Amino acid sequence: MTQDFVTGEKVVDAVKDAVAETLSIEKDTIKPESSLINDLDAESLDFLDINYRIEQTFGIKMARHFILEHIEEMFGEGSAIDEDGKLTEKAVELLKIRLGEELPGITAGTDMDDIPAHITVQSIANGVMDILDTLPEKCSCGASAWASDDGAKVKCSSCGEPAAFTNGDDLSQEWLRKVQEEKKIF
Amino acid sequence: MIKIHQGVDMVNTSKLRDICMRHEGFVSEIFTEREREYCMLKKNPYQHLAGRFAAKEACLKALGWGLQGIDSIMQEIEVLHSPSGKPELQLKGWARKLATKFGITGRTVSISHSGDYAVSTVILTGEKR
Ligand SMILES: [Zn+2]
Repeated sequence: MTQDFVTGEKVVDAVKDAVAETLSIEKDTIKPESSLINDLDAESLDFLDINYRIEQTFGIKMARHFILEHIEEMFGEGSAIDEDGKLTEKAVELLKIRLGEELPGITAGTDMDDIPAHITVQSIANGVMDILDTLPEKCSCGASAWASDDGAKVKCSSCGEPAAFTNGDDLSQEWLRKVQEEKKIF
Repeated sequence: MIKIHQGVDMVNTSKLRDICMRHEGFVSEIFTEREREYCMLKKNPYQHLAGRFAAKEACLKALGWGLQGIDSIMQEIEVLHSPSGKPELQLKGWARKLATKFGITGRTVSISHSGDYAVSTVILTGEKR
């Protein structure tokens, strides 16, 4: 279902907070389209810090395996990355559907290590929204009484338990299975 | 012909320590049990964790795999020690699959620290196909 306890604006705002605190920069300088690496000079430790902060804010678990790894796990070695480290046509097709936007500069033959530069505030926020949208109809206690005090963490107002969202890796796999069924990419 | 893949990375020890303190689970998610045991016995554990983090990141650069978030691949690149104390890299999971894909057969790692910084270089070699 699509949940309406946490808004898209709130998620973008929280990602900006996480980025601003991690990098010690003014929040107003961060835009949804800012590339963490190219525009904001984030390094890999910063990436980890930002993601851990976001997980804490929303009570979610993001994917620990990037989609290219899931593609190869599911559709076989060489299905996403060739032996020179270049993206396959099918990997690019899936990345474009997954990230739901144009990816300028990413085509079949792009080096896989060019991808992180395309990670933006908005693309992180989109990933968070996808996880939040897995909010189950009912809590494990049986109540259907979700609520959020801060517009970020969703909990059951009957038993007080935090919402159990699908984790990012399970979500990626479910998504790949669904797209494969619909579009027969492989 | 031999193909060489190189990677280098530098880590600020205080920054790493700060992240370890703020995020419960960071240390056990990024470092293997053997790495944690080795580092935690040292007088300055965070300097050694920073060196290992730099080695993992240098190895990722040599493999051409950039981080996009919290990635299990950090656990799959393990820094071990030969009996003489020389560091060695052990790869498993996705890290190993990438290395196999690129025909990598040899690897070396070097780690150094000074003051608040740790630095590492990794060289991976393979036959050019
Ligand atoms: Zn409940």
